[in-house]
Amino acid sequence: MPYLAKRLLHMVFVLWAVATIVFLMFRLMPGDPTAAFIDPTFTVDQQRAIRAQFGLDLPLPQQYLVYLGNLLRGEFGLSFRQRQPVLGLVLEVLPNTLLLTMTSLVIAYIFGTLLGALMAWKRGGVFEAVSVPLVLTTRAAPEFWLGMVMLAIFAFGLGWLPSGGANSAGASYGSEWNRVFSLDYLSHLALPALTLAIYLQGLPALLMRSSMLEVMREEFVTMARMKGLSERSIMLRHAARNALLPLVTAFALGFGQSVGGNVVVENVFSWPGLGRLLADAIANSDYPLAQCAFLLIAFVLVLMNFLADLAYGLLDPRVAHERGA
Amino acid sequence: MRRSLEDAAVSAARLSRRALLASSALALVPLLSSGAALAATPGDKIRKIGLLCAAQASDPQEFQAAQLIAAAWRQLGLDVEVKGLPRPQLSDVVWNNRTKWDMTMWRMIGRPERSDPDEFAYNLYNPSTIATGYNFVGYDNPEFQKLAEAQRAEPDPEKRRALMYQAQDMISRDQPYLFLVYPKNVLAYDKNVWKPSSIVEQSGIGIRCFWTFLRAEPVGAKRDMICNAAESLIALNPLYISGAIDSWVTELIWDRLMRVGPDGLPQPWAAESMTQVDPVTIDVKLRPGQTWHDGKPVTVDDVVFSFEAPATTDKSPMYKPFVANIASVKATDDQTVRFVLNTPSAAFATSTLAKINLTPKHVWAPILAGLEGKPQNAETVQEERPIGSGPFKVSRFKLGEEIVLEANAQHWEKPKMDRWIMRVITNTGAALGMLPRGEINFLSDYRGDPKLLADLAKANPNVEVVSTTDMGFRFAAPNIRRPPFNDPRFRQALSMAINRQLMVSAAWNGFAAPANSFVSSALPFWNKPGIDEVKPDMAAAKKLLEEAGYQLVRGKLHYPEGVRETLAEG
Repeated sequence: MPYLAKRLLHMVFVLWAVATIVFLMFRLMPGDPTAAFIDPTFTVDQQRAIRAQFGLDLPLPQQYLVYLGNLLRGEFGLSFRQRQPVLGLVLEVLPNTLLLTMTSLVIAYIFGTLLGALMAWKRGGVFEAVSVPLVLTTRAAPEFWLGMVMLAIFAFGLGWLPSGGANSAGASYGSEWNRVFSLDYLSHLALPALTLAIYLQGLPALLMRSSMLEVMREEFVTMARMKGLSERSIMLRHAARNALLPLVTAFALGFGQSVGGNVVVENVFSWPGLGRLLADAIANSDYPLAQCAFLLIAFVLVLMNFLADLAYGLLDPRVAHERGA
Repeated sequence: MRRSLEDAAVSAARLSRRALLASSALALVPLLSSGAALAATPGDKIRKIGLLCAAQASDPQEFQAAQLIAAAWRQLGLDVEVKGLPRPQLSDVVWNNRTKWDMTMWRMIGRPERSDPDEFAYNLYNPSTIATGYNFVGYDNPEFQKLAEAQRAEPDPEKRRALMYQAQDMISRDQPYLFLVYPKNVLAYDKNVWKPSSIVEQSGIGIRCFWTFLRAEPVGAKRDMICNAAESLIALNPLYISGAIDSWVTELIWDRLMRVGPDGLPQPWAAESMTQVDPVTIDVKLRPGQTWHDGKPVTVDDVVFSFEAPATTDKSPMYKPFVANIASVKATDDQTVRFVLNTPSAAFATSTLAKINLTPKHVWAPILAGLEGKPQNAETVQEERPIGSGPFKVSRFKLGEEIVLEANAQHWEKPKMDRWIMRVITNTGAALGMLPRGEINFLSDYRGDPKLLADLAKANPNVEVVSTTDMGFRFAAPNIRRPPFNDPRFRQALSMAINRQLMVSAAWNGFAAPANSFVSSALPFWNKPGIDEVKPDMAAAKKLLEEAGYQLVRGKLHYPEGVRETLAEG
């Protein structure tokens, strides 16, 4: 499959470019990164030894070669602060982020798609006049503010849900699986997931609405009307199904983006995820850790993009035809 | 340029008929300079002074204080520009580019071992660290260093205190730091869960201290203390000084020979007694019957190992400075360890014996042996279940989420609580909301506005707030390498112009105390009485500058006669 090969090559190129940009970004930032983690009381010799330990004493091109070589071997280095392999630190928090992202995306896309379809169906009515500005508002509201409002209502006000973290204090579970599927974990997940879902649902809703409106002008819809099908059946079984295509891409890309884009929500709800780890790493100039997190996010994004492309070909025969597959 | 000056002269002259009558050409000089009209020709105008500080978002109090200082100095005729920088960048400029800045806001943080003023007295103004170490302001005064060394060698506390008083007077006279405030730590707990009488306020530290965690007594059925930390922990490692929050946990897991008591003075802990044999020889008798968390006994070999590991290897670089003064450490019998020092040190008990973690030899000797010849050091090792001999043992931990410790029933002073739990809560507002809800019952890390906490306590009678003056301090640091800051009288005048009382209320919302010494008023034994009572006096500051030869020309401060500006930008 030449298409697939070309696409894979493309992916590798993009990842290399990201790796290079990430490398340069941290080293060209103002301020000596070692200032953040070398104790000023150290003697010059001690400071030199620590720089050498992290390879920071080498000239930049040499650092770059070492870095690329390590990446190929799957070595991402030691964290400046934790002094631990960064991959382990990243993988430890990844499940929390994936769960948060998946939950909120699924809620957002189910709700958003239905809302979008409804908005297109009831075009021109009061429903649309109210819901479109409302959707735009949720999309524009800062996540931080939204998160604090949710906390104020559901945690501090009504007391229904916990105010932060992934577990109640000191709760203990036999295994990671038990923990993730415990009521305790899920109740902690609820607020951050809901906040993120409110923020995310705008895109599928608006996308679905415009896509539906386009589809509704097509001939097969007129045809269905002529056949005397009920409006409900036309909308749901014919128009909506065909309008779903662009949402597949949006979902895949949205997944890639929110894996790394949860920084705000994770901080507001003290959720131990990748976004928080990344923000911490940057604040403390811990670049091995930040590099690894960025690369992982880029990898997920590129991969989801690729999968969306493949899915598109499967869902829409016209696309596959153009690619000559 | 010339034209605008003339215009200004004309308009200024118009304002004052008398001045116009006197002499239209020289009208400006007597009008705007403050009475020093007959003095010699002024030197160059002093360049615009840059005052560095942390960015407003990361430290609003410091930023506000910098603005107040700038406003006061502008009244002296200086051009001052406040520049907020992100902390890492600020550290980089101040520590690594020591000739490139004029003045910076800075702070020294309180730590238990700093309860003895020796560290600050000895390190902050040490001429040997001007180039790369602590003495980043570049204060070079052999007379002061003599005092700093003399107090260190003086075993008699009263005599040592007299030397400390002298040292504080000297710093107050020379103003190498322009001290501003000793901040107050504001913390809170739920008094329906913890008996207020059992919460210990350690001087200079506050209620979040070893003694509280050891002795806090449950009121009822809730026997777990749930604390918060505002950021992730970094490591749990007895040979790595990784971060402030980590140190709150490590001091519970790993015991020390001495502990800094609630009064700020060292007391025997894992040591039964400490005997000063001669000025450089100290015998420490180990408390019998101690065990590690894995059940093995704590021996004198372990004690010797704990002090030798950082001293004889490069594997624990951060603890190395704390053992540098030890010439030898040996077990003399199965209960006694003898320390021989290079030079006499009055602060040894606080700065070394109360600082070094007792580390099990059977765990760490093999680890260190395995690291031999490798670039990694002991800081890269994270034990799955850390082993110490302290009053709490590790139950489980996830550094970015939660630490769970349980009371060590084998310890001679067993904690009264069952478990000590620290949750990482990154959102300050949420942490505040968790306290009345019981999601936490001890607010151990609060970085928000103290007034919000006070309001919360008003609305929730079970929330008890305790504010404690810190042993750390905030100051404005002049770069003494760069004129005009090399002139002590200039620094004094700057210091006199600062209204610290106003700063306490406007920048710190009342949660700070005015400061003028490197020994905080939180350490009453060492702080010289009255030294912190400095009254702002703008007139005296102006007079002092005038006496030192500085002159105001058209409202701008100029150097004394003959002094050129060498550092102006552009």
